[in-house]
Amino acid sequence: MQLFLEYLFAGISNGAIYAALALALVMVFRGTGTINFAQGEMALFTTYIAWGLTTKNVPVVLCLLIATAAGFVLGAVTERVLIRPIERKSLLATLIVLLGLFLALNSLDGILWGNQNYTMPSLFPNAVSSFITVGGARLYWANLGLWIVVAVLVGAMFQLFNHTRLGLHMRATASNRESASLSGIPVGRILMLGWGFSAAIGAIAGVLLTPLSPDSLGVGEMFPILIQASAAALFGGLDSPGGAVIAGLLMGVVEALLSGYVPAIGGQLQEAIAFVAIVLVLLVRPQGLFGSKEVERV
Amino acid sequence: MTLLEITDLRGGYGPSMVLHGISLRVDEGEIVVVLGANGAGKTTTMRAIAGLISSKGAITLDGHSIIGMRPDKVVAAGIALVPQGRGTFAKLSVDDNLLIGAAKRRDRAGVKDDLERWYEVFPRLAERKKQPAGTLSGGEQQMLAIARALMNRPRLLLCDEPSLGLAPLVVREVFSLLTRINSEQQTAMLIVEQNAELALEIASRAYLLEAGTVVSEGTAASLRDSDAVRRAYLGY
Ligand SMILES: Nc1ncnc2c1ncn2[C@@H]1O[C@H](COP(=O)(O)OP(=O)(O)OP(=O)(O)O)[C@@H](O)[C@H]1O
Ligand SMILES: [Mg+2]
Repeated sequence: MQLFLEYLFAGISNGAIYAALALALVMVFRGTGTINFAQGEMALFTTYIAWGLTTKNVPVVLCLLIATAAGFVLGAVTERVLIRPIERKSLLATLIVLLGLFLALNSLDGILWGNQNYTMPSLFPNAVSSFITVGGARLYWANLGLWIVVAVLVGAMFQLFNHTRLGLHMRATASNRESASLSGIPVGRILMLGWGFSAAIGAIAGVLLTPLSPDSLGVGEMFPILIQASAAALFGGLDSPGGAVIAGLLMGVVEALLSGYVPAIGGQLQEAIAFVAIVLVLLVRPQGLFGSKEVERV
Repeated sequence: MTLLEITDLRGGYGPSMVLHGISLRVDEGEIVVVLGANGAGKTTTMRAIAGLISSKGAITLDGHSIIGMRPDKVVAAGIALVPQGRGTFAKLSVDDNLLIGAAKRRDRAGVKDDLERWYEVFPRLAERKKQPAGTLSGGEQQMLAIARALMNRPRLLLCDEPSLGLAPLVVREVFSLLTRINSEQQTAMLIVEQNAELALEIASRAYLLEAGTVVSEGTAASLRDSDAVRRAYLGY
């Protein structure tokens, strides 16, 4: 029981990060119709910014806020400067631009911060003894804090989508861009905001995730996580924010339990198994678990 | 008083020109119909007015140029387009579709009143408020598209083939609603229509488009009697 809980806690933490990043991917996908390959690198870049500030003795909370704002600006500028002029041309061109951004940000990280790894200080008490005991298992404050922040973040995003005027305009733009503009919605600004929010979520995810293990801030940190988050987004249904969150959590937990109980699976194989499961689901439901089939009568 | 004035409008899609110098006008509170065969450039004209495609020439609303404006700015200026194919937000509820139509409004109370008002005018929408709009029938979607466009309180409503794909009885219903809205709200209308007989009945003036130019124009009555229109559209 104690072991199970420890695996579960670790799984929920990873899952929360996958969920947050998958939600960010879905936000961009709904607006622009592409997977943002650079999502992970944007998150990493802003995490480096937060880390850089912590080395100047800026309080971690403030670092988180600044990184979030930087993420928002990075996302919004990316939409305005790179995506908007290109996306009219073709989807393929957009994907290539995003791959380019992925590589550019990654090398920029290397240039600015070097190739060594750093340990990111945590927003929450992070000493070896900072845990509470639940059913005999240790639940660290850093994990609990991460869960709470991600839960609040996801809740706020859903509130925004479903209960605000801006959210309605975002949904309209995602559903039918031309109709949205004919209704008076400035779709360019809406897409820009969507990219901004999405990159801000990435920044928060990065700043929360990195302190969970020492020496984890490095140029290669985010790529595997983005792969898992993309898989979760695909699994949940690329156009379904709720699906992304559920699938992200599920993936984190299943992954942790599998690698915990079946040591033979180990680190690498466990990712492969997640993918096999996803491929099987997509064969049966191509739109993902919660993705919607178009319901339109003409 | 002239509301919309189009002079020598030229435009198309990339290098292929579709409109070769169209001129037309709509007066305040007036219903004007545009007739023309498939491919004549009717939809292209509407899209140019709405700012969806770039064009040359002059388009003015109340004497102010609106050519080259973004679609949402054209809406803000007071023109709403009900596009051919209706542009329904299929997965969103009927309620949400109508609220999206009020994107340019800031007066919450007024928006609420208008919502009530259009539900009164279109009772079949009221019964389906919470339903995804994509599940409505074609006629219901057409009514939703009209109501959605009206939510921004346009001074000029552009309607691109409102009768497309609808049963004759439903077409009559849509047209009588358009007349009613025109007389109650003084909303001017520019209507593209294949159903010439019906359209000429509700319009005061009409234009006939062929291959991107206006080949005939006049009062609805005079076009109804013109040989060109008769042969092509009325069949007698
Ligand atoms: N997106 C587009 N790209 C290129 N050409 C187009 C496009 N849309 C329309 N056209 C061309 O422009 C011309 C006029 O089309 P338009 O849609 O304006 O005609 P219409 O009068 O509305 O016809 P219909 O009665 O069939 O709706 C046609 O020859 C058509 O092939
Ligand atoms: Mg047409």
